[in-house]
Amino acid sequence: MPEDPSQFLPLSPATLHILLALAGEDRHGYGIMQEIARQSEGQYKLGPGTLYDNLQKLMNQGMVEEAKSPPGNDDPRRRYYRLSRAGRTVLTAEIKRLEGVVRHAKLHLRPAPERNA
Amino acid sequence: MTRALYIGLLRLHPLPFRRQFAEEMLWIFDEAKGSEGAWVLLLDLVVSVSRQWLLRSAVWKAALALAGAVVQISFGGLGWIFFNPRFGMPTQGGATVTPAVTELIQITLCTMFVLVALMFALVFGISGFTRKRSRRRSRTCSNYAVSRNFTPTSRQ
Repeated sequence: MPEDPSQFLPLSPATLHILLALAGEDRHGYGIMQEIARQSEGQYKLGPGTLYDNLQKLMNQGMVEEAKSPPGNDDPRRRYYRLSRAGRTVLTAEIKRLEGVVRHAKLHLRPAPERNA
Repeated sequence: MTRALYIGLLRLHPLPFRRQFAEEMLWIFDEAKGSEGAWVLLLDLVVSVSRQWLLRSAVWKAALALAGAVVQISFGGLGWIFFNPRFGMPTQGGATVTPAVTELIQITLCTMFVLVALMFALVFGISGFTRKRSRRRSRTCSNYAVSRNFTPTSRQ
């Protein structure tokens, strides 16, 4: 019987952003950094050291894999990465978990009713 | 100068990491140093080096085992001499028995041999366990995706 992906949750912010950046399309390292900055509107930026440290971990866990370079890629130093099926499953589970967090937060952070003195 | 520093820091990473990513990281440095700032990227790489050696490699475990061996040899070996009832006891002539140099060398060599063997067993055991766990996690994750009949929708 398969175990569920909750053993990987909660994802660290860096991991979450990397998986999200790869959810739409295959990207090279610099593309992932730019996409993360774009998605977070510049609030979260990853350096190459942090990016590749996490990418190595994700590749060892089977969540990210190397993809074929697109035909237009003339620079051999640019390698492309893609989200694996397992990675997509974990990301989906994490988003579901975060939805629950947001739901609870909204419930508890509703403005308190005004009291008449 | 910052590029040379960056290359130097890249060389401090563990070999497998360097082989896999160093060229690409240098390319990103060349592309991003204007927008991100070279010193920010250098600082990020310093953090990455420490994380690679401390968290991702088993070197610190070997260093810890070696430190343990040194402590054992210093204290354990000497303690054996102090607490061995043969030593320190007065002989019939009145003189106390002290360990000979050859005995000291034998004790030290035996202790070192046992501890080095233990250290190797520990390091290889830990790295084997880490590899197995990584493979198991990856397999588990894939199995889960297959069992849920998960089909990606956004990548067609």
